[in-house]
Formats: sequence, structure tokens, C-alpha cells
Amino acid sequence: MTKTFARALRAGVLMATLGGTSAMAAECIAPANPGGGWDFTCRQIARILQEIGVEQNMVQVSNMAGAGGGVAYTHVVGQRATDADLIVAASSATTTRLAQNAFAGMTVDQVRWLGAIGTDPGVIVVGKDSPFQTLGDLVSAVKADPSKVAFAGGSAVGGFDHLKVLMMLRRAGFTDARAVKYIGLDGGADAITQTVGGFTQAMTGDLSEITGFIRSGDVRALAVLADARVDGFEDIPTAKEQGIDFEAGNWRGLYVPGGISDAEFDRWVEALNKVAASDQWKQTMTENGLDEFILIGPDFTEWVRNNVTEIQEISREIGIIQ
Amino acid sequence: MAADRIFGVVMIVLALGYILSAMNIQTSFMSDPVGPRVFPYMVAGVIILCSLVMLLRPDPNANWPAPMMALKIGAALTVLVGYALLIRPMGFIIPTAIASAAISYMISPRPVPAALAGLGLGTGLFVLFKVVLGLGLVAFPRGWF
Amino acid sequence: MDILSNLALGFSIALSPWTLFLALIGCFVGTIIGCLPGLGPSNGVALLIPISFSLGLDAISALVLLTSVYYGAMYGGRISSILLNIPGDEPAMMTTLDGYPMARQGRAGDALVISGVASFYGAVIATVGLMFLAPMLSRVAFQFGPAEYFALYMLAFCTLGGVGSNNQAKAAMAAAIGLGIAMIGLDKTTGMPRFTFGELHLMDGIDFLVAIVGLFAVAEVFHFIESHGKNSAIGVKLGKIRIPWGDLRKSQGAMARGTGIGFVAGILPGAGASLGSFLAYMAEKSVSKNRANFGKGAPEGVAAPEAGNNAAAGGALIPMLTLGVPGSGTTAVLLALLLTLNITPGPLLFTEKPDVVWSLIAALLIANIMLLVMNVPMVKVFVKILSVPSWVLLPGVTMVAFVGIYSLTGSSFDMLLMVAFGLLGWICRKLDIPTVPIILGILLGNAMEDNLRRAMVLSNGDWTYLFSSGISVALWTAAVLGFVAPMFLRRVLKKPPLPATESYDRD
Repeated sequence: MTKTFARALRAGVLMATLGGTSAMAAECIAPANPGGGWDFTCRQIARILQEIGVEQNMVQVSNMAGAGGGVAYTHVVGQRATDADLIVAASSATTTRLAQNAFAGMTVDQVRWLGAIGTDPGVIVVGKDSPFQTLGDLVSAVKADPSKVAFAGGSAVGGFDHLKVLMMLRRAGFTDARAVKYIGLDGGADAITQTVGGFTQAMTGDLSEITGFIRSGDVRALAVLADARVDGFEDIPTAKEQGIDFEAGNWRGLYVPGGISDAEFDRWVEALNKVAASDQWKQTMTENGLDEFILIGPDFTEWVRNNVTEIQEISREIGIIQ
Repeated sequence: MAADRIFGVVMIVLALGYILSAMNIQTSFMSDPVGPRVFPYMVAGVIILCSLVMLLRPDPNANWPAPMMALKIGAALTVLVGYALLIRPMGFIIPTAIASAAISYMISPRPVPAALAGLGLGTGLFVLFKVVLGLGLVAFPRGWF
Repeated sequence: MDILSNLALGFSIALSPWTLFLALIGCFVGTIIGCLPGLGPSNGVALLIPISFSLGLDAISALVLLTSVYYGAMYGGRISSILLNIPGDEPAMMTTLDGYPMARQGRAGDALVISGVASFYGAVIATVGLMFLAPMLSRVAFQFGPAEYFALYMLAFCTLGGVGSNNQAKAAMAAAIGLGIAMIGLDKTTGMPRFTFGELHLMDGIDFLVAIVGLFAVAEVFHFIESHGKNSAIGVKLGKIRIPWGDLRKSQGAMARGTGIGFVAGILPGAGASLGSFLAYMAEKSVSKNRANFGKGAPEGVAAPEAGNNAAAGGALIPMLTLGVPGSGTTAVLLALLLTLNITPGPLLFTEKPDVVWSLIAALLIANIMLLVMNVPMVKVFVKILSVPSWVLLPGVTMVAFVGIYSLTGSSFDMLLMVAFGLLGWICRKLDIPTVPIILGILLGNAMEDNLRRAMVLSNGDWTYLFSSGISVALWTAAVLGFVAPMFLRRVLKKPPLPATESYDRD
């Protein structure tokens, strides 16, 4: 079903871009299905770009799901390398996959990293009737018998949601990554459904994916993986408070094709700076549980490189890559 | 009789190839208990089982086309393959007109109506898809106009 | 009477001359998109999202337009199924089984009216279900974990026995071929390629639209050329077009059962409309008094799957709205639309944004009433398609199929693949191997495998986990009965094999 959907949307995009009327409008590719973080990034930035008048036409959001963002990455590198009207949503998941060499040999230098304008703190949630009251309860249960605690997440095995669990457990002193049970589903909403249904004992995801379910009381958040409690969700303790010094934010940002000129790149830098400074974006961040994290332009490129190296080291330690 | 048996044999061979190919699938570091190979094995197993049933208890034979008809089907196949290969470089209208005319002729061997059908479909469908539905189609090879 | 006042609120927002006009356009465009093979409802909606924004439509108007297109395509899919034996979209494939035989008997008009009424029936009941039960029914999705989904898929494959063929081995073979094809592409769990042989086009797997169009449309061309159109519905003398009251009355039960099954399938995010129409057809075939005529033009065989797939389309909105989980390609596109309108579906949507929910419901009702009004009188126009000479119609349909696939992928590869599927379809037809199971296999293969693997992770490799809940045991029981019953009955009755399946557990 995902496949059809990706194809269908791609068809829509193809038609819209080739159709003629609005061919010059900028496009934002969300490399996943609607409802996830990339989709959110694209849709919000697209909306704000138009509202603050940076873009006159509506910014076309298209979804290009597949291979954890790899399909879109290949597409941009291979076919749109000089398209100056294209931005692509990215996040920790993108760098994670790049670090693990999961984009069919593509490297981090094949696109230009535009910037990040917020971070989505990781959360660990359990069903409302779960016996686990604190993060400590959950961790000791894993330590006692890892085969009794299954985690659900919206990313595939080895993806960012999975990595979050493994890294958190490592900090807490549990290092047998292979013993940790994890099932990857099609996005955060699907993962929550399985957790509320009691099929898995806990779920990891990004705060923004889960806000609705936390407020409705279907799930309880055990910990937020940020350096301080998040505005609007003050009753969720951080992992640090509970004695596990671990942060994992899923930054929200964009990359652009690698072949565009410096002038074109600077135009996007300026546009993104305006979005980051806008009231609309600030409001969006509070409404959706995003934390402040603004890094745009060349600094961001540097940061992404370091981030990739860091994830590579961790993945190697855990055993995901050789 | 024979047809079912031939199909059964072909499918067994294909299923064995499938199993062979599945044996080379890389597994990941977090090997789940099932892994990426088991399901393909199961599928191939079902195919082999069904093929054996077809081998041992074949249905009565279907009517297979006489040599002339087989040739005609082959021609239709060639037209469609050619169409698939040519629509990109040649634009929409010309390959569509030729392919429709050819298929039309095979259905009803009268050259004039077939040619008319080809022309009409080539242009008519282009208008329908390009103008009404807004699909991105190229009318003629690039560089003609 | 809370619901009535909410509904009134919805209609007050969604009902205006302008939105009615948009609904009319949407229904019309949707019907066309639906009946063109290769373009399905998800393409239709995806196609129109950018257009609706470039038109500067407000949220409600966009919602009305797109739900009209959505349901228009669901109604439209049956037209080419019945007239040409080519499903316009995947849920309509079950309608070919009895709809096309009816058309061959000159009863195309009857089949279109019955299926139109059945579609309306299914869609409206499902919408009413959405109105009254959505918050409660969203809980049903919580009951279905990996083991339950796997059992559900097994049920579908085990009841395949009698679909369009008398030979159970051949039906099973077809399903296995479909499952095997579904394995092609990147493995979602590990990210490793399988059976792609280094071909980049295969990385994302084989699109089932390519398979459907190939197996049905292209195969039909080969078949027609070979048979000189002898068994085709094209050019058949049409009966008088009238409303077949008798058949409608007879298929009331089929519509009700189809709606029930379809609705349940829709509520489960992992099932969807195709499974809904499939199970509706198979269940009807096993309980109907008229079961001997199934596959030969039984009106009930048209009514049940059409009611089923439209009810499933309505049911699928429940997990989409209440959980944010899209159950099908089309609901995924509608989810995209809502997100674009800055509406985030989730457990609080019904309480926090009642105006949106209820105007969506109103839009659904408007679209369906409009489609019923449009479709029944239009039957006279639709059946005229069969009077088009075959030497124009068939090349035309073939080219439409090619363009549909071409517009999706823009590559020759998929078109060649489609021709290959055409050849496979032609051979299958010769050998009396049904093609519907192949499609079903391609559609469900990945989900089936993923759920099996997830179940095994959860149970640490303990296979008994698959039978560990009441729901899964019930589904497995039904599956086993569905598989064994036809063989057993055949032997006992010693008649020419009449496929029959045991009563399906609707739990």
C-alpha cells in the first residue's frame, strides 16, 4: 500500500510539474508518507514560506516514500541535481541512514545541507495500563529479561527510533543490543496503535508524533530525551532527571540538490532564516512539542558531517555496521 | 494435458531458481527469528507443491493457437513491446497511432478503418490525457517543433 | 440527538451551491479516473490535490472536491470491470468475476445498476457507521496485532479455492506467484534488496497497478485477437435498459452482508478495500442460495463486492481520522490533504475539530447521493461503450492502460513489465489459472510477511504465538474450514467440482 501511495503521489507531482500551469513553483519533497516528521517539516515550511511572502506561489509538497528516504535521496542526486527550486526535508533519520551506508553507497557530500530549524525530542511511551511508571522501571525490566519487553517504533531495524532505544539502554548499562526486541512499523501512529493494543510494551518516537495520544490519555510518556523539560509538556520528566544521561533529538531540517550555485544556496539560506525567525514557526514549534535548534548555512553542513561520523561510531560499537 | 505438465515443470524450475536466489539475500545484524529468507522459501514451497499437483493431475488440454495464430499473437506482442520502448523517444502521438492501427488491423483486417482508428486514437487520447486530465505528455519527438 | 445537530452543523458548512458544483465536477472526474484502467482512486486524489490548491479552494471546498473524486473513482472502477473485464482499480477486480459474465449475456445495464446501488448502499451505511461509532470502532484496530493480521491474510488466501477456477491447486499456485512477486524489492525490515538482480527499477518492488493492467487489459487484447472476439461482451446485443427491481430485491442480503464485511475490513488499517471486496465476495458465495451461478453472472456476485469495497472505503476513514493511520493508498492521500489543511488527525480530532469531521461526513453523503443520481441514469451512456466497434475500443483501452502506467512511472521498464504480465495473463487464462489470486498476492504479500516477522520477534520465535488470541484462533479456524471444505464437499457430492466455502466467521 505504501508503494502505491508513493507512486500515486509521484504521479501527482509528475503531473503537476509537467502539467504546465504552476511549473515554476518551488517544491518540497517529503521522503516519506504523510503524517510523519518529514511530511510535517515540508508542510509547515511550505505554508510559512508562502505566508511570510518569501514564495509567491504555493510551495508544492510531494511525498516520495521508500527506503527510509533513500528513494528521494537517489532521485535528488541523480535527477534533480541542479534544480534550484527544490528543497527536501531531512532529519536525524536521514543522517542515520547515510552514516550506515543505507542509501546505496550515496554519501553525505552529494547534496548541500541547508539547515535545521528545530528539534523534535525523543520520547519513550508506554500504554496507559502499563506497570512501568518510570524509565527506571522499564530499564530494569529489560535488564532482567530483554525477551519480555518489546519496543515498537516508526523506523526500520537500525533506524533512528531503533537506535534511540539501543543508545538509551547503553547509557543505562545494558549493552547487548541484539537481545533488545524491536519491531519497525509504518510510522509513529502505527507503532502507537500496536503499543496501545498491548502487543508491544513500549514505543519510541518523536514527541510531535505522539502529542495527540498523550493528551487523549491512551499512552503515558515515561521520559523525554531532551536536556530540559519541553514547553507545553512540563509533566514529562527528562531521562537525565531519572538518572540516564541521554538526549536524542530528531532535528528538523532541509537539504537542497548538490549542483546548485552558491547564489541559489544563499537565497535558500535567507529564506530559511526568515522562516526560523517568524512568529508562525515559533507557534508551530510550541503546538507540536518542538524544541529550539536553529543552525542554517555552512555551519550546518559542518555539523551534519560531525553528526554522521558520530552515528557511524555508535553504529559500529553496537554492531549495526562493520 | 501436456500444457499443465509443461507449466508445472517450468514453475518448478522457476521456484528452484527463486530459492537459490533467496539463499543469497543478506540478513541484517538484528536477525529476527524469521529473517528475510524464510517467507520466500515458503512461497516457493507452495509453488512446487501446486506444480506437482498439476503434473500428476493435469486438467484437459486447452486449445492452443495454430501456428498462424501464434504468429499473430507474437506480432501483437512485438507491437506492444515496441510501443513501450518508443513512447519516450518518439513522443506520444506517433507511436500511439501506429500501435493502435496495428492492433486494430489485427482485430479486424481492414486497412482504412484501422488507419483511421490509429489516427483518431493517437490524437484523441492525447487531447484527453493532456488537456482534460493534465498529464505530462510530449506530443512529438523533442526538436520537431 | 447530538449526532443530528452535529450533522446539521456539517451540512451547514459543506452545503452550498458552490460546493455542490465542486462535488458534481469531482464525481464526474473521479468516475472517469476510476474507470480508466491504470488510474485508481489514489492517483485521482493525488492528481487533484495540487489542482485544488492552485484553484485557491478553502479547506471545506477542497475536502468536498476530493472526497467526491475519491468516491467517484470507487464507483467508476466497476464500469470497466463489468463492460470490458478490466478492473479500473484494484478493489474492483472482484466485480469482474460476475459483472463481466452478466455483460456477455447482454445484461451490462443490469449489472451497472445493481453495482451502482450496491456501492451507494455500502458507502452510505459505512458513513453512518462512521458517524455513530467512529470513536468506539477505532478501538478495534487495537485488537489487531501482527498475529491477528497474519491470520486475517491466511483466511483470505485459504478461501481462494473457488475463485474463477475449479482447481484449488491452480488458485493456490496463482496466489503463491503473486506472493513471490511481492517479495521483489527492498526488504522493509532489513533494507536489503531481494530478487532485484541489481535492477534499480525493481528496488521499490512491482507496482500492482502494472500487474493488474497487464493481467487483465493486455491479456484481453491477446485473447480477443485469438478468439476473434467470440467470448467478448463487446458488440453483444444489449437487453432493454431498465431498473432490475427483481435482482435488486434478491441481492439485498448480499449488499447487507457485503457492507458488514467490507466495513470491518476497512476499520482494520492492515486490511483495506481490496481485502474487503474479496472477503465479501467469498462469503456471499458460500452462503448464497444462488451460489451455483457465482462466476457465471450472478447479480449477488456483483452486489456483494461492490457494497464491500465502498463500505471498506468508508470504514478506512475511521483509523485515518481517529488514529492518523491510513489503511489504504487512498486514505493516505486524504490524510495528506488534511495535514496540508493543517488538520492533524488523531484521537482528539472528533472532540477538538468537530466542524472538520462533520463537514467531511456531510461531504461524503453529498458525494454519494450525487453519484447515485449520476450513475443510474448514466448507465444508458456507459453501456454504449459496448457498441463501439472492437477495432476501435480495444486498441483504445490498451493505449489508455499504457498511458496510465507511463504517467505513473515515466519509464519504459514498467510498460515492458506490463506486457510481460499480459503474456502471463493470457497463458493463465489458457490453463484455467485464475488471475485474481495473483493480484491479491501482490497486494498483501509484503504486509503478510512483515506481520509474520513482527509476530516472531514479539514471541521470540515461538510459532504458537500465531494462535494465541481469540481473534486469531477464530480467523485460523475460518481459514482452515475455508480451505478444507471445498475439497471435502467435492468428494462427497461427486459432482462436477462446484466450489463452495464454509461459512465465514464474521467475528
